[in-house]
Amino acid sequence: MQKNRITISGLFAFALLFSLVACKDTSVDVEEENETITTVKLNFTSGGTTQTFVFNDPDGDGGNAPTKFDNISLKPNTSYTLTVELLDESKNPSESITEEVKEESDEHLFVFTPSPASLFTYTYGDKDARNFPIGLTGTLQTGATGTGKLKVQLRHQPPVNGKEVKDGTPIPGSDDVNLDFNVNIQ
Amino acid sequence: MIDPMKKSLLIFIYFLYLSSFAQTKEETPGVHCDCFIHGVVLDNTTKEPIVGAVVFVKEQNKGTITDINGHYHIANLCQGTYTVVGRIVGYQEKTYTIKLLHEAEQEIKLSEGELHLANIDIKAEKIDNLTQTKNVLENAALDQNRGQSLGETLKQISGVTTLQTGSSIAKPVIHGMHSNRVLIMNNGVRQEGQQWGSEHAPEIDPFVAKKITVLKGAAGVRYGSDAIAGVIMLEPEALPDSTRMSGEINTVYFTNGNQIVTSGIFEGGIRPKKAAVPQSFGYRVQGTFKRGGDISTPDYRLSNTGVSEINFSVSADYKRRNWQSEIFFSQFNTQIGVFAGSHIGNVTDLIEAIKRGSPLNIYTPEKFTYTIGRPYQDVQHNLMKLKSTHQLKSGKLSLTLGRQYNYRKEVDILRGDKNLIQLFQLTTYTGELLFEHKPLFKLLTGSVGINTNFQQNLTTGTLREPRSSTVLIPNFQNLTGGVFLIERIVKNQWEVEGGLRYDFRNLDVYRIPRGQQAKVESKKQNENFTGTFGLNFRPNSQLNFLFNLSSAWRAPTVNELYSDGVHHGAASYEKGDENLNAEVATNLSFTANYITKLFQLELHLYNNYIRNFIFLSPTGRPTLTIRGAFPEFWYAQTNARFRGIDLSGNFQIHKHISLNSKLSYLQAQDITHTQPLIMIPPNRWENTLRYEWKKSGISLTNLYVARQSRVPTKVIFSEIPTDEIIFNQYGGDFAPPPSAYMLWSAAFTQQLKFNNRNGIYISLTVNNLLNTSYRDYLNRFRYFADEIGRNFVIRAKYSL
Repeated sequence: MQKNRITISGLFAFALLFSLVACKDTSVDVEEENETITTVKLNFTSGGTTQTFVFNDPDGDGGNAPTKFDNISLKPNTSYTLTVELLDESKNPSESITEEVKEESDEHLFVFTPSPASLFTYTYGDKDARNFPIGLTGTLQTGATGTGKLKVQLRHQPPVNGKEVKDGTPIPGSDDVNLDFNVNIQ
Repeated sequence: MIDPMKKSLLIFIYFLYLSSFAQTKEETPGVHCDCFIHGVVLDNTTKEPIVGAVVFVKEQNKGTITDINGHYHIANLCQGTYTVVGRIVGYQEKTYTIKLLHEAEQEIKLSEGELHLANIDIKAEKIDNLTQTKNVLENAALDQNRGQSLGETLKQISGVTTLQTGSSIAKPVIHGMHSNRVLIMNNGVRQEGQQWGSEHAPEIDPFVAKKITVLKGAAGVRYGSDAIAGVIMLEPEALPDSTRMSGEINTVYFTNGNQIVTSGIFEGGIRPKKAAVPQSFGYRVQGTFKRGGDISTPDYRLSNTGVSEINFSVSADYKRRNWQSEIFFSQFNTQIGVFAGSHIGNVTDLIEAIKRGSPLNIYTPEKFTYTIGRPYQDVQHNLMKLKSTHQLKSGKLSLTLGRQYNYRKEVDILRGDKNLIQLFQLTTYTGELLFEHKPLFKLLTGSVGINTNFQQNLTTGTLREPRSSTVLIPNFQNLTGGVFLIERIVKNQWEVEGGLRYDFRNLDVYRIPRGQQAKVESKKQNENFTGTFGLNFRPNSQLNFLFNLSSAWRAPTVNELYSDGVHHGAASYEKGDENLNAEVATNLSFTANYITKLFQLELHLYNNYIRNFIFLSPTGRPTLTIRGAFPEFWYAQTNARFRGIDLSGNFQIHKHISLNSKLSYLQAQDITHTQPLIMIPPNRWENTLRYEWKKSGISLTNLYVARQSRVPTKVIFSEIPTDEIIFNQYGGDFAPPPSAYMLWSAAFTQQLKFNNRNGIYISLTVNNLLNTSYRDYLNRFRYFADEIGRNFVIRAKYSL
């Protein structure tokens, strides 16, 4: 009987020790969230007037469909200065991602692809520290009248194991932005 | 091993020995006398089988000699308690006490030399799950795979494969199922943390285990929910109860990735000589270090595929007459680099990667490095276990308590310092109270038990106040409990086992749905009954038939219920379904075993029907995000059937030559939608030819893996208009299954012995001998990269 009591009290002592080790209240903060870009603004400036075309998906990936996906309409045979603005509007107040891209220009590249190719030509207007283009600002020369698409890509090309990979081409890395805007040149 | 001369001499001595006993047979009325004892006699140091050792039952004057594999079998014994003696010239005699009810398995370990060693009583052997098919890996089978991950180690069992994410993350797959449907019992405690997602490898150091058992098929009654495809049990050796100190050092070097693995075990005990009550104290410390760099395929090196691991465990126990308490603590730490070329932005990136055929040059560097960069995983897993066992007059009572803490960080390539994509903190408490009763009416043996499991996951804010809406797995609290009863009747050559179980689960989830601000609380409750029935028939000592019908269930997990977001490595948009029901498996299996001295064969047939099988199915429709189009995947339910054949055989062709053959065949069908299920391991056939002489061995292995021809062809969701489906080519998959492949490997093993205690076991293995380029259907990186190329492995085990 005595032995049994020792056993049982032993078990309880273990259980107690166990629960002591266990009690710990914690709070986690994942401040550093997944990159969210909700808004892409394309500013076309020509002769002092600026037109802005917007893609906006305020709740990010999935969820509700994008609330705004503008059709771009431009004049033929005109030279525009094109600047890009990126925003995260899922946060309050909204955050500018443009600044981040600027700060890390050595691992970002905007790519503007017309289809058909005759729609316009694009020339980069900025360079990073290693003399590769960025695309936050540039010149877009429209061709004759027509309709087509403008593919806007932001390629994220971070170093691989500490080694730079950005080489001025869109090949390395992955898309942070990939949008096909309808374009109407008239 | 012992040469033939010595062997015949031994046989002669043995017969002299037996004839010196008076041959009287006693039969006690009412007790069964068709029991038997079997097992293997091993060298305690090298764990090599001893041929020609004498094993006899002292009380019955019955004995035998071990065969060429060290096996012995003593039949026609009555129920009772016996003293089993193992002896051979050059070794010390060893005695074991066995309580025999029907069948007992006793491994006899003999030590060389004439060291004094008191007869030690070993607790009665019990055999679990005699009516369920199990495969055991220990001794040589483990030694030959040391240094590899748990998943890779288990691949040598037919019917077991791996699901891989690159080369460093491998999860065991049993009969085509994995993760949530494979339960892992780590030292008696169910491992919690590895279930979600294919890239969560089991956080276990295989060096802790001296024995790994795989139960194939549903085993829900004994082990609770989730044991749908099978159970993997890892067990360390019993702690020592003698004062002798011993240890073992394992070192492994892999040329591919320059991986070094070192693991050490040191153990000992204290046994007071003049104590009033017999008692003993045992302890063990163990630690493992692993470091590997970028691995290479036959044609290129893969950037950021290094791995690093530091693990340790300590355990101690105290035994006193009929009471035993044990404490165990282990910590597992790993950092795993994820192949840099696998970060896929969207489906365009993925299609480009598939088109290229091999990764871009920037992801296949010339220069080797150990450095692990982004993306990577950083995981820590702690396990603490307390177990007390009390031997009562009516049976054995044991209480097992466990606490696990799983910390997982998944770091991806994002802008700037914003790189922490996911963080999981999972704390789990488990408890089991088990009572194994002594035979009732000298017929019925069995056990009754209660399990509880309490779990908390924290990914954002505090448990009830989540702060972020972008987490993959929300905060939750989970309570499960179950009671079970399993009883067994043994009569003549027959054995019948039956069991019942009741389980419940309460899940409380605290989350902020994507893109919203307000917290939502959800409660889920499930309960279920499961049952098992097994039959074992042994017409003679060479044949054994097993028949088993078991059920198991699994409640949907949080990721299946609430996932909502892009999965980067897979370039997919995954969406959970809040209304999923629990899935229930009914597994029917039949196993036949035939064993003679020169021939061993095991045939396992199974049919696992799963009602409400939960899986991730492509919708074929792209979801538009700012990063481009992502193929959409929904968690769905269907009725599924997994049926297959596992066949393994061992043939002793010649005194020195043996052939081992393993075949796994599986068909998994989505019955509701009458098409095959996605991501099912293809059929495989493996053959090993082995030549052994003295203490050396050479083997050559060929593995053939067929192409998976059974893949789904259509999208299962009727609510999706056909004109929206664009990914329709491979039933929603991005590329067709890879071609069949054939791999060769070779091994050389050598035992060296310095004296009776110290010995070295050395082996040299070449995996992928011909440096074959191939891709595996169950590797998630098969879209962009080849599998690992030729790999020389040098292993050394030093016992002291």
